[in-house]
Amino acid sequence: MTAQLVENVLQALVAGLLAGSIYGLMCVGLGLIFGVMRVINFAHGDFMMLGMYAAYYLFGALGIQAVAGSLVGPYIAILLAGPLLFVFGYAIHKTLISRVTGTRTAQLDGEGHYAQLILTLGIALVLQNGGLIVFGSVLASIRTPLSSSAWELGPFWGDFVSVFLNKSRGIAALFSIATIVVLALVITRSRLGKSLRAAADNPEAATYMGIDVDQAHRLAFALGVGITAVAGGLLATNYPFQPYIGLEYVIVMYAGVVLGGMGSIIGAFWGGMTIGLVQQLSTLVLPTQLQNAAIFVVFLLIVFLRPQGFFGRVVERT
Amino acid sequence: MLRLEGVVAGYSAVPVLRGVSLAVDAGQFVAVVGPNGAGKTTLFKTISGIVRPSEGRITFEGTDLLALPAARRAHLGIAHVPEGRQVFPSLTVLENLEMGAFTAAGRRDWKRNIERIFSWLPVLAERRGQFAGTLSGGEQQMVAIGRGLASSPKLLMLDEPSMGLAPAIADFIFDKLIEIRRDTGLTVLLVEQRVAEALESSDHGYVLEAGRVVLEGDNRTLRADDRVRRAYLGM
Ligand SMILES: Nc1ncnc2c1ncn2[C@@H]1O[C@H](COP(=O)(O)OP(=O)(O)OP(=O)(O)O)[C@@H](O)[C@H]1O
Ligand SMILES: [Mg+2]
Repeated sequence: MTAQLVENVLQALVAGLLAGSIYGLMCVGLGLIFGVMRVINFAHGDFMMLGMYAAYYLFGALGIQAVAGSLVGPYIAILLAGPLLFVFGYAIHKTLISRVTGTRTAQLDGEGHYAQLILTLGIALVLQNGGLIVFGSVLASIRTPLSSSAWELGPFWGDFVSVFLNKSRGIAALFSIATIVVLALVITRSRLGKSLRAAADNPEAATYMGIDVDQAHRLAFALGVGITAVAGGLLATNYPFQPYIGLEYVIVMYAGVVLGGMGSIIGAFWGGMTIGLVQQLSTLVLPTQLQNAAIFVVFLLIVFLRPQGFFGRVVERT
Repeated sequence: MLRLEGVVAGYSAVPVLRGVSLAVDAGQFVAVVGPNGAGKTTLFKTISGIVRPSEGRITFEGTDLLALPAARRAHLGIAHVPEGRQVFPSLTVLENLEMGAFTAAGRRDWKRNIERIFSWLPVLAERRGQFAGTLSGGEQQMVAIGRGLASSPKLLMLDEPSMGLAPAIADFIFDKLIEIRRDTGLTVLLVEQRVAEALESSDHGYVLEAGRVVLEGDNRTLRADDRVRRAYLGM
């Protein structure tokens, strides 16, 4: 009886950690954009959807499966979807987003926030409906043989408790964490990363240093889109998707970013992780349909108790 | 080196600068003084490209600055230490200095510059790993100055480096600037409220009032001028 309970809790914990690492990666992509540009991007879930389809078509129709096989192929496709969506994000920023953000917005009403909301909402609608026309409404998924096999952890506690770790989810979580580690190194160590942080801290002073702030925004936006696309691809190896999937996840992403403290990139990861854990652990006591409700209850509690998020600074930036 | 001719600039409708002409020659120390709201900061922002003038010309070593986007101007060798310090709060002291060295010249001379900056301002060496946002006002001003020097500038523009600092700290900063200038022979354009000190150490000065240069001249002429003595030197 207790063994069964322990097993269920451990199983939910593992499921939460696995889901949380992918949510964390999604949130990091959005958090990077918000942190550097202070732009609310409603289309972020739909960029993720494009990332999923990009990985899907690269894997299937474009022949990666044929060349690399079903085991390694999906991950190659996913890692290629990242740069592809980076280029797409770069282009979207250059042609659309830059018109209502960055150094131009000083002259606009509310620093251009209204225009940003309407523009990104518009992009979201175009991507969703465009996706429906191009990809169709049939559920797609990236099939890997790993998704139907698991590692068994245990048995511990005599012979009573053992936890199963789905292989494809485990590998997706590893990829996700590796991506975040690389990104964190880039942001904290590299000249590019430092210049992005400087542009976020004080765009005017960054300009005095010779940093092209609009270009910094463009790179942050493209990087954020690319990273979330990778997260989407990893998700697609475990969950079927359709062109409207962005709507479900954009909410998760915003909740994660706010939880982590708006503007903190590492915080965004832990925010996403928290959401994964809450979602999975809630299934122990609540019916599955209510797992998203559980996310929001915890979200509201944390926002109520610690409005600056886990990693937010209490002082506003100067 | 730097030359402004008939510059008219401002925010939205009303011009703040109403036809400013000014020149800084290589090796000179030029001071700009004037009452609050005269447009001194606006003048600096116009040179750096944050504010776009509606009329006039600005050249730096013969290059038309107005043809260049703001971010390119630092790469010509103009370092702007802005009013109110404006350090990058979530970057460490060392990272702030690295951002100062974002230009090619700054990167080339990084080793030599950082040694000299740390010897002028040893506090920065002690605090190199601390987030700049958690420093005191005086320390932040030193970061801002160090950051300006890290770009290996040809022209260092300082906007009220003593603003909001206790008198003793302001004196310290001022002495440091004199020392740095003596060691390097750097060309400096300084805006300062402490008119007596600013005029004393400068080669040439401009008095800016309501967006116009109302008086200019060398150090001795200005300090001897009755209006300057009455309005700014309290004599
Ligand atoms: N961002 C802005 N938008 C609109 N008006 C501005 C802005 N910045 C400054 N001004 C106005 O321009 C005028 C000149 O300001 P500026 O900051 O250049 O003066 P200053 O000589 O540097 O004064 P201080 O000695 O107080 O620093 C002031 O009337 C100010 O209100
Ligand atoms: Mg000023």
